[in-house]
Amino acid sequence: MPILTIDNQQIEVLKGTNVLEAAKGLGIVIPHFCYHEALGAVGACRLCAMNFVEGPVKGIQMACMIEAKDEMVITTTDQASQEMRARVIEWLMMYHPHDCPVCDEGGECQLQDMTIAGGHDIRRYGGKKRTYSNQDLGPFICHEMNRCIQCYRCVRTYQDYCGGTDFGVLGTNQRVYFGRFRDGRLESPFSGNIVDACPTGVFTDRTFRYRTRYWDIEEAPSVCPHCSLGCAVIPGGRFRELQRVRGGVNKQTNGFFICDRARFGGGYGNHPERPRVPRVDGAQTTWPEALRALRKRITDLVARHGPGAVAFLGSPRASLEANYLLDSWAASLGSRRIAFDSHWQHDRSARVAAGKLGPRAASLEDIRCSDFILMIGVDPLNEAPMLALAVRQAVRRGVRLAVIDPRPVTLPCAAAHLPLAPEALPDVLEALAGGDIRRLGRREAVLLEGILEQLRAAERPVLIGGPDLLGAAGIERLLDTARLLASEHRPCKVMTVLAGPNSFGCGVLARQGPDFEAILNGMLAGEIKALVCLESDPMTGSSDPARTGMALGKLELLAALDYLPTAAAHHAHLFLPTTAVPESAGVYVNNEGRMLLFSSAMDPGTPISVSGGGDHPPRTFLPATPGSEPRPAWATLGHLQGRRLSLRDIRQAIEMEHPNFAGLSSLTTGGEGKRIADISPPPETAPEIPFPHSEGEGTLRLYAMEDFAGSGELAGYASALAPLRPTPFVMLGALDAKQRSLSDGQQVRLRSELGGVGVALRVVPDLPAGIALVPRLRGTALESYVPGRGHYDCQILSEDEEKT
Amino acid sequence: MKQHEQVLFKNRSPGETAFLETYRKSGGYQGLEKALTKMSPEQVREEVKKSGLRGRGGAGFATGMKWSFFPADKPGEKYLVCNGDEMEPGTYKDREILMADPHQLVEGMIISAYALQIPVGVIFIRYAYEQCSRNLERAIAEAMEAGLLGKNILKSDFSFELHLHRSAGRYICGEETALLNSLEGVRANPRSKPPFPAQKGIFGKPTNVNNVETFANVQHIIAHGSAWFKNLAFTESGSGTKLYCLSGHLERPECFELPIGISLGAVIEEYGGGVWRGRRFKAALPGGASTPYLTAEHLGVGLDFDPIEKAGSRLGTGAVTVFDETTCMVAATLNLNRFFARESCGWCTPCRDGLPFINWLLEKIENGQGEMGDIDMLREQIRNINGRTFCALAMGAMGPMQSLVDLFEEEIIDHIKKRCCPLKT
Amino acid sequence: MTDLLPQNIHDALAAKAIEHLHPREMIIEVLRAIQDHRGWVPDEGVELAGQILGLTPLQIEEIATFYDKIYRQPVGKRVIHVCDSIACWSRGAENLYLYLQETLGISPGETTQDGTFTLLPTCCLGLCGEAPAMMIGLKAYGRLTRERIDEILATERAEAGA
Ligand SMILES: Cc1cc2nc3c(=O)[nH]c(=O)nc-3n(C[C@H](O)[C@H](O)[C@H](O)COP(=O)(O)O)c2cc1C
Ligand code: SF4
Ligand code: SF4
Ligand code: SF4
Ligand code: FES
Ligand code: FES
Repeated sequence: MPILTIDNQQIEVLKGTNVLEAAKGLGIVIPHFCYHEALGAVGACRLCAMNFVEGPVKGIQMACMIEAKDEMVITTTDQASQEMRARVIEWLMMYHPHDCPVCDEGGECQLQDMTIAGGHDIRRYGGKKRTYSNQDLGPFICHEMNRCIQCYRCVRTYQDYCGGTDFGVLGTNQRVYFGRFRDGRLESPFSGNIVDACPTGVFTDRTFRYRTRYWDIEEAPSVCPHCSLGCAVIPGGRFRELQRVRGGVNKQTNGFFICDRARFGGGYGNHPERPRVPRVDGAQTTWPEALRALRKRITDLVARHGPGAVAFLGSPRASLEANYLLDSWAASLGSRRIAFDSHWQHDRSARVAAGKLGPRAASLEDIRCSDFILMIGVDPLNEAPMLALAVRQAVRRGVRLAVIDPRPVTLPCAAAHLPLAPEALPDVLEALAGGDIRRLGRREAVLLEGILEQLRAAERPVLIGGPDLLGAAGIERLLDTARLLASEHRPCKVMTVLAGPNSFGCGVLARQGPDFEAILNGMLAGEIKALVCLESDPMTGSSDPARTGMALGKLELLAALDYLPTAAAHHAHLFLPTTAVPESAGVYVNNEGRMLLFSSAMDPGTPISVSGGGDHPPRTFLPATPGSEPRPAWATLGHLQGRRLSLRDIRQAIEMEHPNFAGLSSLTTGGEGKRIADISPPPETAPEIPFPHSEGEGTLRLYAMEDFAGSGELAGYASALAPLRPTPFVMLGALDAKQRSLSDGQQVRLRSELGGVGVALRVVPDLPAGIALVPRLRGTALESYVPGRGHYDCQILSEDEEKT
Repeated sequence: MKQHEQVLFKNRSPGETAFLETYRKSGGYQGLEKALTKMSPEQVREEVKKSGLRGRGGAGFATGMKWSFFPADKPGEKYLVCNGDEMEPGTYKDREILMADPHQLVEGMIISAYALQIPVGVIFIRYAYEQCSRNLERAIAEAMEAGLLGKNILKSDFSFELHLHRSAGRYICGEETALLNSLEGVRANPRSKPPFPAQKGIFGKPTNVNNVETFANVQHIIAHGSAWFKNLAFTESGSGTKLYCLSGHLERPECFELPIGISLGAVIEEYGGGVWRGRRFKAALPGGASTPYLTAEHLGVGLDFDPIEKAGSRLGTGAVTVFDETTCMVAATLNLNRFFARESCGWCTPCRDGLPFINWLLEKIENGQGEMGDIDMLREQIRNINGRTFCALAMGAMGPMQSLVDLFEEEIIDHIKKRCCPLKT
Repeated sequence: MTDLLPQNIHDALAAKAIEHLHPREMIIEVLRAIQDHRGWVPDEGVELAGQILGLTPLQIEEIATFYDKIYRQPVGKRVIHVCDSIACWSRGAENLYLYLQETLGISPGETTQDGTFTLLPTCCLGLCGEAPAMMIGLKAYGRLTRERIDEILATERAEAGA
């Protein structure tokens, strides 16, 4: 570990650290533009000049380009290096518009900061200014090229890091331009990262345009609730609405970047129909009234029918604290009828992961650093987008990636794809775990042999799987495989993508408890009279919405705590509004088992844009903030049990009860979080869980899959994501399409047990025969097709055939 | 005009190109035969090292030394690249070779490929040299036909395929790492070094880059030996001949092959026919647009790497551009700087934006709007551009610029005081 | 497509691209082929190059706009590149450049009314020994004088069929 001296202070750094980072370690922050921790050093801006007095290199050098070495003596305050930095800033400002006051970046502009830091104040250059014209980059991102300082960060983010191919650098010399071939929406699902990466106001968030200055926005480190990866995000609110989300930093999870679903999908909390007031039997009421009513009805039911008559449903999108309090409430009533995810396979998968993943759990950082990746039954871009980027970083280093999946798993990097039908996946897993490889076709067997060979040869292989196609049984098999492939000297890590941001936490809490299937049966049988839903909507969340609807209809009491205008919230006899994620604090346990703290960026309230009817400030004066009734679910659940608990109390209670969560109460916001301890023995093997798919016959087997912006519960309520939602379509293999004389792009009729619907046909050349795929698209006829439920028998007919 | 031994220009005759027949008659491909039949790759490398050949592309790096860093013995994908971008103003020697006797490059590359055990070569030719490209295409086809190129050359186990790449403009492509990017079909920004091309070149594979004239010398060295080659030079430290491209205010601005180290004055007077129109010599760029000016006091300096460096300039590409007494050095330097500013690849700030800043300053001074403070500003610009950029392009621009303020400060002051260009009529 | 590339050349390039380990390497080759045929590279040319090489239009455009000899705007039948570098400058290139502008009645970057000539500055053409020099299309002309320019323009104009 080299030791060097910067401005008379010594520091020891890890080998390979550059001098700019080393200085930062001493608190010496030298202006810089092109260097970015995730993008690396490229020596383009020439701003980070330091004076190297002693050591292997001498003179003014770019600190980002020089590896820290022993005996280096460096100054940053001498005349020469200061002069250099001042000149670079002057050059960058030669053509720059003098209009920070109308620039959307103003206040959080690195160029402003660096210009001040670099000591440049008055422009001496009196020549002609270079100007550019801008492009229309779509609904998410604004383009103002005159503000560009050519640091190349945007293109390094967009192309190199994120794998986008429709945005780049054009031209040369002082006329280089950063944009697209033509006007149009940036195609990458990670496009928004250029807003964060650009140090100036060239790229700004269009959804946030002209709304708030940096010093007026309320921000706090949070965790993205849109999938199970737990990416760090920083939501920002003002005027009682969530105005934007930007990427946070967590080197174990997302790193520095986030996906567009996270960035532009924050609007669920602003939804115009969001229920904000407690309700009893359809009528709005006060908190005390609602709480009293709920407590009374439950007490009555327990008195009449025993504690078993009351069931509870937790949620992978509710905080660990709230889920825990729901659990303890159920226990205090004597009811053991609690499940934490109404989707049966998702629930079971989470429990398997929580119970068995243990130290083999791979973080996204492990994936970025891996040297061989096998993905089976997982579709990252749609299910857990940042996983796709993590995989890409490994592939950029030359790592091989094998994908076994019937779906056309699109990725921002090269992969060897083996498209096998879902029914073949158990055999593949079997074979991977050392079973009989001959059960597969010849070609598949050969390919699988190759994969196995690479798996064995790799030093840091990672297996990745998801619950929709593998189900809990498959996840379990995947974990077994990893165990078999690992040795003392060679770990083999696994990542299991789960359903929601807190699925893992729910999996730990659920342990041996019943699943929603059992609760559903209880409701249908009339044994269960009441269901309390915590931030969950079994109507759309369960694998069988129709049956669930029927069961809910039989209840005497449906109570819902939520911040979304869900069907369950709508139908609930008793409704209690909760705060949305950016309005509350809590803990999520991500799919790796990492406890991540999110904190509250803003208070709940009806956005002024709504309550003021477009007028501001509102002309009526009220003692209370309109729409500020929602309370954190944990607070309400504590209250219902007659306990006044702080978050700290709850976390300590959780640690006491579940030693896995050790360290929970000492978590800090904005950190890397902490993996849970794998100390409790894994649950004895779960009841024999069948795979989610069985051999079908005759007709086509239809599987539902996730869609980037169309399937998620929260994404469904985020109106800004609308441009990213596809129109309904069904995918069919080339052979199956040909047999039916159907062609790509054609409008077809899809018929299944759920009825008939008209959709566009997409022919996917290598989709396995006998398989059809639809994305689950909320708000469309494809909403009721639930991924991870197994297959639906279906028919696909041309529109004309349908008519005859 | 004294006649010196012609090596590279042996077959040069006005308006004609020597192809295989002529080339062979003059001893062509004997070097290749000797190398393949009588020498090991290592011996070829050793001979080139002993010859003292220094790169003719501008930087003057010793070719033998460069080759010694190349992993010749490592099997696998490797590339040999010929840099025929030749876009430095004043420079046209590679063109002369390719117009006169293109087989010299082909043979030189085959021998070099053998020495470095490289299976594939690419010649990168600038857009404007279409006739050179056609000559090379023909030469390559002839060599293939004659079994001098391709599989099992001259029935040995050595095989070498040679491709031609036509570029589409841009001086920066001549910078060797930018050239590699250009060949790969990515934007021709330079790469950072290390890793050097010998370690990671085209597609990350070991690559050796040399200039056209450098390669053209190789077979002569092999055919006639390193001692002979060293002896061609005028100076003790030099070796070989050099193609000096004369341009500017001369009576006879042509390209001459002369012993390396001949004096600037001799080249101008004896070969260039003296300064035109009977005028007096004012200054010269001794080695292309990126070398500092030399003035009358330097006329005795030998045009070889070391002596020129001692005089404060560089041999560069050996392109001598002469300016007579009527030349405004501010305007001349502005012309040079405009070239560099326009050809900047746009990667790093001091070059991309600093050179235009200097354009503005010099325009101001030239137009009579300069102020005394501008000279300090100019020095400060030079100080912070020179050696501070990502590649050597901007450093090249600062060569003449630095010598402008060092050698011609009086002339700049004159502009400012008179509020106009004193030399403009 | 035929007005962008003749079918046989298109097919040859496409076949070569399929064989190629790195089709990217062929970007300039394909763009130059389109330019040879069409005179310049219109947007559709960039898209066609992308199709042939399996790249996006942007990926082609990043390269196309790097090089000054790929014309991304319409040009006349003959493009005149006048050298404005030092050797030519020292021998009166500036005046000849003005003369050309006057004679053709256009400014740098423009095309004559009849669509015959486009006038562009270029850096050194390697004709410094014959300075001042220019290049029309790919043809080099040195030792320029006003008279010689008149002759050259007349010949080129006749050849261009204007
Ligand atoms: C901006 C710039 C332009 C260059 N242009 C050329 C060129 O046109 N031809 C050339 O041979 N070398 C050129 N060089 C030098 C090359 O980078 C490299 O040093 C040379 O090709 C090596 O060949 P040599 O060792 O045979 O001289 C250029 C360098 C720079 C910095
Ligand atoms: S980009 Fe920054 S420096 Fe430029 S106008 Fe905007 S706020 Fe000001
Ligand atoms: S657009 Fe922004 S990120 Fe991109 S080069 Fe310009 S200043 Fe840098
Ligand atoms: S000095 Fe910088 S901008 Fe200029 S050519 Fe080199 S890398 Fe490009
Ligand atoms: S930050 Fe070091 S050169 Fe840009
Ligand atoms: S300077 Fe004009 S051709 Fe060289």
